[in-house]
Amino acid sequence: MTQETEAPLPDINPLRKQVQTKIKKLELHSSTGLWILALFTALSMGAFHNFDFLPPLSESIRTALGDGPPVRYINWALVMYGFSAIILILTQMASDKKPRGALAHFGYLGAFYLFYHFSEGLSENFWAIFVVGLTILGLQSYHVWNYYHEKIQEQREILVELDKLMD
Amino acid sequence: MFDNLIARAIVPVTIAVTGFVIFVCILLYSFVKSDMTAEASRHLDGCATTVVKSMVSAMMEDDQDAIQNIATNIGTRSDVELLKIYDHEGNVRYTGQEEPATLTATVDSHIKSILQPNSTTFAQTQYNVDHDNGHVSVTLPILTEPKCFTAACHVHSEDEKVLGLLSIGITSTQLEKTLATLRYRMVIFSVMVLFLTISGVTALLRMNLFLPILRLTYNAEQAAQGVAEYDLPKSDHKLGKLNKDFRLLVKQRDQALEDLKAVGTPDRNVDDGSR
Repeated sequence: MTQETEAPLPDINPLRKQVQTKIKKLELHSSTGLWILALFTALSMGAFHNFDFLPPLSESIRTALGDGPPVRYINWALVMYGFSAIILILTQMASDKKPRGALAHFGYLGAFYLFYHFSEGLSENFWAIFVVGLTILGLQSYHVWNYYHEKIQEQREILVELDKLMD
Repeated sequence: MFDNLIARAIVPVTIAVTGFVIFVCILLYSFVKSDMTAEASRHLDGCATTVVKSMVSAMMEDDQDAIQNIATNIGTRSDVELLKIYDHEGNVRYTGQEEPATLTATVDSHIKSILQPNSTTFAQTQYNVDHDNGHVSVTLPILTEPKCFTAACHVHSEDEKVLGLLSIGITSTQLEKTLATLRYRMVIFSVMVLFLTISGVTALLRMNLFLPILRLTYNAEQAAQGVAEYDLPKSDHKLGKLNKDFRLLVKQRDQALEDLKAVGTPDRNVDDGSR
């Protein structure tokens, strides 16, 4: 008679820890959109006060920078940017791609604030940039949250499977 | 699950449409406001030029009383808040209407910039629209003409480019009222667009996606409880292949069960017969 010997199962604990670390990492990633949204709100508060908390630019730097572009050109650029950015994020959402570019959008919006500031059109157009910024970054953070939430769910399912194996 | 699915489908559309409509409305309002403000300034500039022409005519006849009368009569208009004529050094010579305190600083800065020979705004008309205090003001230089320095009554040299200045300020109450109406209408328009877009998207998604999925879920529940394929409620064809494949699976299960029954029954008969 042959005695059947069962091969011992490999230790699952390191794998569990790996999955748990991954979940924590994904949870951190899922809140990046909100952090950038908060950063944009802080920048907008500064822009609302016409950046008066910053020291004024020296005359030589202003001369080197030259005159700001006309406000109507910046307005058109903002419309084009807002439209393209929203379409881009919706396309990313539809194709379930990894969310990218939140920081770049923050940079573009900051640049718009600066352009308006130097062209002396910030007070009139502040709310336009603020609303389009909230829309773009709101959509982006929703996409970030949604995408990483799915990934976290996948990892949690793996964790449950591992727990069953351990039992 | 479906609550999540509905939320996930509607939330991005709502954010995108709401944000973009509000943004475009704000920008459109800003465009319209600047166009209307420019139009108000142009209109006031036209009126001021007419006043200057009649004053130059009175000056040519050296009729100081007529100049004062023109200023006084124009100053009686209800919308005129300021009318002043200055000499080439910026001293007030004729007054048709006293300015409100909020206009003083504006008019002073206009005069300063027009009379500075080295400035880029020298001898150029200056405009200001003060939406906060409700004024539109214009200051324009009264420029010299050949008939001025060749006339017998005056001693103006040819080099003297600016003979005087005219400042007119009118109330912008009507402009502000029009802008307020525009704001109010834009808010109503935005709310209507948002309501229609979100309702439309929700209705289309519900009709073409959520309801067929709900029906398929109900069918799956029924099938799991043992209901045969031909007893399942007929579903529409909006989910296409998914729905067909599901029904095929249930049909195959029914067939397999029937086959199993068919195979099982003779065996039992044989067993019964052998006893």
